[in-house]
Amino acid sequence: MPEESARLARLRDRLQDAILSNVDEAFLNGNLERRLPHNLNISFAYVEGESVLMGLNKECALSSGSACTSSTLEPSYVIAALGASAELAHSSIRFSLHRFNTEEEVDWVGRRTIEVIKRLREMSPLYELAKEGVDLKSIHWKAD
Amino acid sequence: MAYSEKVVDHYNNPRNVGSFAKDTPGVGTGLVGAPECGDVMKLQIKVNLETGVIEDAKFKTFGCGSAIASSSLATEWLKGKTVGEAAKIKNTDIVNELKLPPVKIHCSVLAEDAIKAALADYKTRQAAEPAVAK
Repeated sequence: MPEESARLARLRDRLQDAILSNVDEAFLNGNLERRLPHNLNISFAYVEGESVLMGLNKECALSSGSACTSSTLEPSYVIAALGASAELAHSSIRFSLHRFNTEEEVDWVGRRTIEVIKRLREMSPLYELAKEGVDLKSIHWKAD
Repeated sequence: MAYSEKVVDHYNNPRNVGSFAKDTPGVGTGLVGAPECGDVMKLQIKVNLETGVIEDAKFKTFGCGSAIASSSLATEWLKGKTVGEAAKIKNTDIVNELKLPPVKIHCSVLAEDAIKAALADYKTRQAAEPAVAK
């Protein structure tokens, strides 16, 4: 069990490093030390979680804090309770590793995640505004 | 979430992604939704000032696959329509075309709002620039 935990934590850290070193404004959710070894939860600013899943769901099983798939529009209350803003809670993705995952699989998921985030940001009006130097909080959003 | 084939197609091959400079003559811009709600759409039209026909349309969307598909479809439908015809596009048309399930109807509502906001912005700018408008 301790060996398996260490193995999973190594793979998880590998995935985390690959993603965070290649994607700007990606934020780790949860405590850096007190965390499960197989779990990785990251919020990607300016992209919505469900759209990220849609880009990867044929290839691997991930989940999103976005409740877009349920009957409410509330983002993950867990991620929000960990301190993420409502915007970032809508943008959270949970990666869970298991007993039989390999290093190759982790590298591949990391690469594909980076590609999907880049593609979605190219079509994100929020990313465009942020790159133009607009403070998103300064915009008067008309919430439904 | 099971997506219709059309939603998947628009998600994988979104039509007319991009932006026009907001101050270009004939351009109208709509920005609707809110980041904390998980959906924001920017939709732009470029109107031929001689004919009143929408010559081009572009969008950028932050949101789920259905939101991306709804706005992508809206830009397809807007091209070639007059400003008056564009105002008649209804969210229910989008729901039917994309076979959106009940939990995704708000995506089509937001797309209709985006069309209306772009048309309103175009009209406001035309009224403010009588020298450019015909």
